Amino acid sequence: MSARLGIDIGGTFTDVVCASERGQISFKVPTTRDDPSRAVTQALAILERDYGIPPAEICRFAHGTTVATNAVIERKGARLGIVTTEGFGDTLEIGRQMRRQLYDLQLEPETPGWLAPGARRFEVRERIAADGSIVTALDPASVALAIQGLRAARVEAVAVCLLFSFANPAHEQAVATALREALPEVALSLSSEVDPAFREYERTVVTAFDAYIKPLVDAYLARIEGNVASLGMPAPLQVMQSRGGLASATIARERPVRLFLSGPAAGVIGARAEAERAGLRDLITIDIGGTSSDIALVRGGETPVRGEVEIAGYPARVPMLDVVTLGAGGGSIAWLDSAGGLRVGPRSAGAEPGPACYPDGGTEPTVTDASLVLGYLDPEFFANGTVLLDPGRARAAIGRVAQPLGLSVEAAAAGVHRIANSHMADGMRLVSLNRGYDPRDFALVPLGGAGGLHAVPLARELGVRRILIPASPGVLSAAGLLAASIEHEVQGSYTRTLAEASLEEIRRVIADLDAKAEALMARERVGELPLNRHLSADLGYVGQSHYLTVPFDPDGPDPLRVAYDAFETEHHRVNGHATGAPGKLVALRVVLSASQTEAAAPAGPQADAQPGQRRKVVFDGETAACETTILRRAALAPGARLAGPVIIEQPDTTILVPPGWLAQPYDAGNIVLEPEGGAA
Amino acid sequence: MSGTAETDPITLEVIRHRLDTIAEEMEATLLRSSCSPIVKEGLDASASLFTVAGGTLAQACAIPVHLGTLIPAVAAILQEFPLETMREGDIYTMNDPYLGGTHLPDFAIVLPVFHGGEPIAIAAAMTHHQDVGGKTAGSVPTDSTEIYQEGLRVPPLRWVRDGIFDEALTKLLRLNVRIPDIFIGDLHAQIAACKIASVRLGELAERHGGAFLVRAFQTLLDRSETMTRAALAALPDGSYRFSDGLDNDGVEFDRRLRICVEITLSGGTIHFDLTGTSGEARGPVNCVPSGSLAAACYAVRAVTDASIPNNAGCFRPISLTLPEGSLVNPRPPAPVNARTATIKRVTGCMLGALAQAAPDRMPAANAGALVVMAFGGRSIRHGTFVTGDLLAGGSGASQDCDGVDAIETDATNCMNVPAEAMELEAPIRVTRCALRKDTGGAGLHRGGLGLVKEFEVLPDAPDGVSFSHRGERHFLPPPGMAGGGDGGCALSYIQRADGRREEIPSKMVTRLAPGEKVSVGTAGGAGWGEPRARERRAVIEDVANGKTTVEAARDVYGLTDTPAEAG
Repeated sequence: MSARLGIDIGGTFTDVVCASERGQISFKVPTTRDDPSRAVTQALAILERDYGIPPAEICRFAHGTTVATNAVIERKGARLGIVTTEGFGDTLEIGRQMRRQLYDLQLEPETPGWLAPGARRFEVRERIAADGSIVTALDPASVALAIQGLRAARVEAVAVCLLFSFANPAHEQAVATALREALPEVALSLSSEVDPAFREYERTVVTAFDAYIKPLVDAYLARIEGNVASLGMPAPLQVMQSRGGLASATIARERPVRLFLSGPAAGVIGARAEAERAGLRDLITIDIGGTSSDIALVRGGETPVRGEVEIAGYPARVPMLDVVTLGAGGGSIAWLDSAGGLRVGPRSAGAEPGPACYPDGGTEPTVTDASLVLGYLDPEFFANGTVLLDPGRARAAIGRVAQPLGLSVEAAAAGVHRIANSHMADGMRLVSLNRGYDPRDFALVPLGGAGGLHAVPLARELGVRRILIPASPGVLSAAGLLAASIEHEVQGSYTRTLAEASLEEIRRVIADLDAKAEALMARERVGELPLNRHLSADLGYVGQSHYLTVPFDPDGPDPLRVAYDAFETEHHRVNGHATGAPGKLVALRVVLSASQTEAAAPAGPQADAQPGQRRKVVFDGETAACETTILRRAALAPGARLAGPVIIEQPDTTILVPPGWLAQPYDAGNIVLEPEGGAA
Repeated sequence: MSGTAETDPITLEVIRHRLDTIAEEMEATLLRSSCSPIVKEGLDASASLFTVAGGTLAQACAIPVHLGTLIPAVAAILQEFPLETMREGDIYTMNDPYLGGTHLPDFAIVLPVFHGGEPIAIAAAMTHHQDVGGKTAGSVPTDSTEIYQEGLRVPPLRWVRDGIFDEALTKLLRLNVRIPDIFIGDLHAQIAACKIASVRLGELAERHGGAFLVRAFQTLLDRSETMTRAALAALPDGSYRFSDGLDNDGVEFDRRLRICVEITLSGGTIHFDLTGTSGEARGPVNCVPSGSLAAACYAVRAVTDASIPNNAGCFRPISLTLPEGSLVNPRPPAPVNARTATIKRVTGCMLGALAQAAPDRMPAANAGALVVMAFGGRSIRHGTFVTGDLLAGGSGASQDCDGVDAIETDATNCMNVPAEAMELEAPIRVTRCALRKDTGGAGLHRGGLGLVKEFEVLPDAPDGVSFSHRGERHFLPPPGMAGGGDGGCALSYIQRADGRREEIPSKMVTRLAPGEKVSVGTAGGAGWGEPRARERRAVIEDVANGKTTVEAARDVYGLTDTPAEAG
């Protein structure tokens, strides 16, 4: 008996998925915010007590954590110092000077200068030129002075960010050697290791975040490792990275900045894996949360990785699975503007106070309140009955906008839903159309608890003709942890025009990247797993500051020409034109991955004892309520064809099947929704 | 479709959001499909939807200087080519500032949208083109004295009739610009954006009916007007004045230029009177009316409520008086290419006047300038090169908080150029980029600091490089508020090879020899409230963090002892 465990820590709930020969089980425990590792211990106790799976039987343990993100949001990271090139001590604070709020008169800093205020930033005398040559040798006296200053400032972590260190890391390494000797207890991050790419501000920010969260992430992972080891679990800890691959905790703690925002990535991987089982590889996923919704595109089973995450409002150059966040969710508040128009969001009741219908909820009407008024939700079966909803409070809240509009409470609730759906659909249009894709070519996969309520109206808006509802959409992030590969990415800077580029130099850079990536993989104990190697290059036109990533093969015929042609094709797809102008290379990248997914047992939805029932429901586009059959998902027979109106309930979600739509449960546990008359 | 626009607020809201999304999709298409760096990197382009009467329905822009910028252009096209003469498949264009444009690099593309044979809306896009001819490459000569030196002037013209391009016009356009392929390519990006709008509006009309849409558009405009009037009516009626100045026009270095604004708030309307503003300049800082309109739109939007849907209804309560023959309403052939500095100052004056009506919301003056620099020449390694930088100063402090250091404000929003990016592409070394101590205006709340950036020309450019510097706030500081101090003035100079230090009088075009250095210092934001009321702890922190000198802490903030403790 061997089991694989995925635990994803969210804001409210910690999701647990455990797969073994006996099938897949999933449950939620409340997140323990003061120390999230406690929820992990609790989950293990429940697994053993309720499901008879002792820690000793768990052979793989993959974990998704928000500890890195929370450290920044709550500003609880280390007391940080920064070492820079002389003349550039203020780089972290100056940034790129652009503001995000165009019309706010009172501005907020756009840069995280608070990570290390001026008094904790030190300059050393040295200078490296753009080609990596040394203009001014590193002055040891200035290093000694910086160290003295860092010690006096009682820093706990240091980020070293020297100009052009990506072209020549010698000076950063020399500073690091001196620092390790003088301040051995202090956590250290070098910009040439964290993010070896040009643009000094961007490199400084990501290096500063890395050092800032390093001690905290290290302590957290050590705590979990200690806890599970003491309970007898043999599996090494694996952690989800923002680009959507797992890394062993040993490696993750060395580069903690890669753990930011791994939750959305895990969700998309979970959705991808479920859809793959249903034979679907082109997807648009939407995870509808309380305050926001996460949207991602999957093309041919792959999701692009983008080069930047936004962490507590600050863009940071960390590779992340391309998930776009939209400010509309179940908690979005409906309100009337001063001309009497009905608006929804962007303000949200969030988790606190929450929708009006929640216990201790707010008083303002939200999208979730509208769902309850329309009959979409069973007040006693919401979140598996753990949250009792109050229909009276929902009606009263919606009444606040219904009355001035001269509408019935139901009509106003339907209006709130319609507006919220149109906002989400507009957001999905931008995500797909803006990238040159037509949403009609994709299947819609809603994740999270609220997705099933909005799926059909969204599909109608977008012209999508197939919806896939995963077996357990509420714990898809945890399931994604089990589906993810072990993955390491190593990037190197190589800035040359294609005319100047030398294949020999490029091969040397790649050999170096390969060595680094292989060294990381060697520590993963992947054993016999086959390794997948993917090589890519970032190219742009000379004079452009935007780059596109294309596959790169240094051993194929005319590699630079092939890469340039691929770049032009991609440029045409993304930008609508390709100019044939001279190109340049800026970076090379090696990704090694090891897939560790065993054929998972079908993830059957959870069974429950409640019998089905009927209730009155107002569907999208209908004016009158219609008597609707409520079915429990666990009771559905695979292969059945259920014609709407039907509502399918399960502990972690509710699925709306309006008139004119068909629901078909598949044996993999998924449900496919299609318009009656079949998919185009 | 059941119901009417008047009685169905839900459909109305769905349509409104859809219009915003269409404008965003247009803007994304525009930015994506344009070729030139000024669009790609500077985001200097915008897209709008208009009613058939020429009222803005929705607009997407990445920089506020484009707000409302297409209104006069669409009006000019409609005047020259009345709606009833327009046909499906027509495309119109123009750029002349004196016939509804902005400055010559900004070309408008206007496309009427039809449904069922009836015009239902107008799509329009504006792009700042890399070059439109004239005396210097880039078509923004800092020393021009006539518009004829600034490039090709195009009046409202029909470029496409029934889907067929007027090749005569295409040939004429191509012949008058330096890089015709890029120029025409960027115009086609504008056309692509307008065509996207046409398709999307067609889908919307298919669903709701063209006539219904046209009625819904009217209702949306009326509602925004109602909301704007309500927000303006919440401000105290009265007249409020503010004035400030520009260093010079780049041609006459010793003539300071004055900008005066009197705002009159009255029962939900707002009038901007710029009487008293200096007469038109010899140099190119003149600004045709579209610039002051953009400034007014920005000021009203900032002082009202950003949730009010941005359309022509918002502009109805706004009126302007722009004295003819002045800096803000020049007569041809006055040059106009460097209008942005003027728009920024006009915006600052409008906000300064509004501050008297809403003192709790308005911060003190921003640095109010974006220093624009260009280096060009030949280097051994890079061949011919052109590069530059855009540097901001500090923002103003407010009743609630300190200003922000080195940040873009009001009508512009540009990124600076990383030292590493510049050095990779040009024979220049950036030797320093730091916050400028003591430039944040003193106050209970301190203004944001300006920055100083230093450049050195490398021996790799044996013939030296050409250098232009377009600054502001070198002589007239951003004024403090409520007892706060002025922001520190900008200060730029050249360190010549022979040891001379040559101060840059705000604007300059010169050559730099290898080894010569330029130091560019931007202005700080103004302070708010009495400096001596500033919290002792905050002053100590500022000293520790290098934002305030020990001397200023003592002399300006009255700190008698200067503890050595660090932050």
